[in-house]
Amino acid sequence: MRPDLSLRLKAALLLAPLLAFMLSFFVVPLVTMMKSAVSDPVATEALPRTARALSGWDRTGAPPASAQAAFADDIRALKNDEQFGDLVRRLNSAQSGFRSLLGKTRRALDGNGATDLASVDARWGETSYWVTIAEAVASPWTDKNLLAAVDLERNASGGIAAMPEGASANRLIMIRTFVTSALVTLACILIGLPYAMVAASVEGWRRQVLLGAVLLPLWTSLLVRTAAWYVVLQDNGLINATLKGLGLTAGPVPLMFNRLGVVIAMTHVLLPFMVLPIFSVLIAIPRNLMPAAASLGAHPLRAFFHVLLPLSMRGVVSGALLVFMAALGYYITPALIGGANDQMISSVIAYYATGAANWGMAGALGLVLLAMTILLYAIYMRLTVEEQRA
Amino acid sequence: MDTPFISFRQVVKRFGPLTVVDHLDLDIARGEFIALLGPSGSGKTTLLMMLAGFEQATSGTITVDGVRVDGLPPHKRNMGVVFQNYALFPHMSVRDNIAFPLKMRNAPKAEIATRVARVLDMVKLSAMADRKPAQLSGGQQQRVALARALVFEPQVVLMDEPLGALDKKLREQMQLDIRDLHRRLGLTIVFVTHDQDEALTMSDRIAVFNHGRIEQIGPPREIYELPRTPFVAEFIGETNLLSCKVDSQVGEAVHLTTESGLSLSAHAGTGRVDGGKVRVSIRPEAIRINDHAAATANRLTARVLDAVYFGDHMRLVASVGEQRLIIKGDRMSEAAEVGREVALSFAASDVWVVGSCDQTSASA
Amino acid sequence: MRPLPILKAVFAALVVIFLLGPLVAVLPLSLTDSVFLNYPIPGYSTRWFRELVTADSWRLSIVNSLLIGSGTTVLATLLGTLAALGLRGRRATLLVSTLRTVFLLPMVVPAVVLGVGMQLMFARYGLTNTYLGVIIAHTVVAVPFVLVNVSSALQGVDIRLEQAAASLGAAPATVLFAVTLPIALPGIISGALFAFATSLDEVVLTLFVAGPNQRTLARQMFATIRENISPAIVSAAAVFILGTIVLSLAMLAIRRQMA
Repeated sequence: MRPDLSLRLKAALLLAPLLAFMLSFFVVPLVTMMKSAVSDPVATEALPRTARALSGWDRTGAPPASAQAAFADDIRALKNDEQFGDLVRRLNSAQSGFRSLLGKTRRALDGNGATDLASVDARWGETSYWVTIAEAVASPWTDKNLLAAVDLERNASGGIAAMPEGASANRLIMIRTFVTSALVTLACILIGLPYAMVAASVEGWRRQVLLGAVLLPLWTSLLVRTAAWYVVLQDNGLINATLKGLGLTAGPVPLMFNRLGVVIAMTHVLLPFMVLPIFSVLIAIPRNLMPAAASLGAHPLRAFFHVLLPLSMRGVVSGALLVFMAALGYYITPALIGGANDQMISSVIAYYATGAANWGMAGALGLVLLAMTILLYAIYMRLTVEEQRA
Repeated sequence: MDTPFISFRQVVKRFGPLTVVDHLDLDIARGEFIALLGPSGSGKTTLLMMLAGFEQATSGTITVDGVRVDGLPPHKRNMGVVFQNYALFPHMSVRDNIAFPLKMRNAPKAEIATRVARVLDMVKLSAMADRKPAQLSGGQQQRVALARALVFEPQVVLMDEPLGALDKKLREQMQLDIRDLHRRLGLTIVFVTHDQDEALTMSDRIAVFNHGRIEQIGPPREIYELPRTPFVAEFIGETNLLSCKVDSQVGEAVHLTTESGLSLSAHAGTGRVDGGKVRVSIRPEAIRINDHAAATANRLTARVLDAVYFGDHMRLVASVGEQRLIIKGDRMSEAAEVGREVALSFAASDVWVVGSCDQTSASA
Repeated sequence: MRPLPILKAVFAALVVIFLLGPLVAVLPLSLTDSVFLNYPIPGYSTRWFRELVTADSWRLSIVNSLLIGSGTTVLATLLGTLAALGLRGRRATLLVSTLRTVFLLPMVVPAVVLGVGMQLMFARYGLTNTYLGVIIAHTVVAVPFVLVNVSSALQGVDIRLEQAAASLGAAPATVLFAVTLPIALPGIISGALFAFATSLDEVVLTLFVAGPNQRTLARQMFATIRENISPAIVSAAAVFILGTIVLSLAMLAIRRQMA
């Protein structure tokens, strides 16, 4: 065997376990989530004959008679109660009334071999119910959840339109997620940039202390840090007790269950991701650059604005991307420190998944968040790769 | 050489579009100390790596003791390798480093102990046996690497610039030590170096590498005194290379005119005066200054442009018309004054024809 | 060294207080004898530390965390080290850099998104509410840390050491176990520690994948903060912080030992 071929084979064998593991438990779950956002298979699976019979219908006037017979056959063939329940939920969510209608129809069809649906319930004579069924069986895929994720829906004619005011808050929550993340990123820049500059400008134990102060929280459990802020920020917590003790305030200043608390706690959590990239850029700058600028006649302030600040910008950009990206997907801190009006997109996803069992919406919002995160990560990678090349 | 011990036949090594070793033939005798000398990128290290099994030849064959080795993995080749940075295992003591090859050969414990002790004694490191490599000096690490490569009595010892990291004094000591070991143990040593002094003082034969080929191979004296190409002449020691036109040739005696217009008597050497134009090499130490007694074929008058005192010798730069010449000598203090006129003389046999001019591109 | 200008020193001190203050401030509360997390502390006792080991919910969650953390550490270290060996010295072809990116992506993908996908998929294969499921979920997010640490440790292993071992008669497997892995050991150990710490701190995936029987310490702390905060949480935090300090010191000691 050619030696480089056997080397490649060896590498492939070493990589195979992790690759298989990651495909099975990282890629497949993400794909499953994305699929749940766009799949709508319940009606197509439960009503195959109806789907065929309705495929040529123009959705106006009465449906073809064959469709009624096909629907009756499909309902009779549905022996699985769970599948029937899924179908009821699917159709009822599109048009209320289906719950009672389908229950009644199934009992009637099972009891006496009736085939004339209109005699079972007068509603079967209405076109709107048939339109709903036709839409449901038309395709196992749907863009409904994706549209709903950004507060859009399909109107009666099939076009895309905004949802009525107040029907959904997803857009609001996305804007809130962006604003909160931007605030956290800004706070991290305002604190992190000067802090990194100070840390890079000193040496010995001072630098060790300043860096240690950044690294220690990074190594500390997120839960511990959140718990700490909870204790510090609560109404009778350390800050309020101090303010009251100093006679500065009469009652407690609300620091928790609001945006301020969330921004403070998240800034604390994400600050290291800002300080470390800036610091690593700054220490790579030759120490004699500022004296060199001075020797060329630059006033210290001008030297700062023309030399140090532009050079540290690369670190600021990578840090800002990292912080913003991490902040977008944050769940724990807003969930514990924030109030109902501070919940970000992750909380909504978690609500849809664990609270409402609406996997379609959880998947759709997850897809939006995933796409934004990957986009930011791609930009970040681009920048760091270019940096390495430079 | 009747039956070569190691032999390379038409060996080629390519890295992508780059040919590093180019259809190379080389025979090495048992017990020989051969130096592979050349600038970096000339293919000498790649050749060593192919012999050790770390690189695979693109084509060609390598045999050791009549057995083809080019398909064998390194651990089955039984060759001791000494690396430039010593490559001592940092997590093992000196003793464990040296015992490693014996353990790999499943030698009995008692035998390992005695052989390690013997070789430690040979390199005078018995006191350091339990130290880690990081606790040793560069020279001591060098000796551990040597001991480790010798302890299992390999059929060949390969050394890749083993003395490159040592300072000058230590290096000269190690050169003598290694030469001594070679003689005492009858080792076959293939020694890669870019240092011409090292190659000249240590080896039985030198192979001068250039662009993946061997330009010249032979004993040190032959390489130095009878260089066959301008490259060899310039790479081994300092020399004056002059381009000349051939006026006449009678047997070995040649009359030339340099590009700057000087007439010279020269020696045809290997008889390569085939073109109308040739290049000749004149060693700086072959040129005598103000030696009017010497009956030599070439006499020139020159002006001293520069003089540098080196302690054991002086180095002058002088001009004869347009032509500049470098001259090394010991007893010329009175002449060594910038601006002075001096008489230069050198024998015809010291004007050594190293190739015709149209060959320069092929050999450069 | 020239003294720091006052402004710089004050600013740096304020940020250090912001970073470390909350952590330091809550620690004494772990020794309160009251049921409230308030200053001033009325009296000192170890009742909340005792609560951690006696109350079933805390004790079980600690045991679970250790179990799941150990499982994650073993699995992630094994998979990550093998892959780091496989990626080592490969030229950055499209395939190799794609693989590397996929392996590191779990650090980037929001945990909630991954959690939703895992819950959906794990339910299909009966992995939800099992220890194995939680260990797998934690391993997905822990592997990148192992890969990064071991890869950089392997980068520090001089290829000539391995060539030397081979020339001295060591077969490839022997080279790996006698030379490569021992020299890369500090990186492997710190990767393993990172994997353990990641598992210990993981909440979101646990929320989605674990059942009540797999409730981990972090999950328990999350629930306690959310539902009925008690000083036990600060005791747990104190244990965490001490653990972190011990682990960091251990890591430093290992680094120093091997250097």
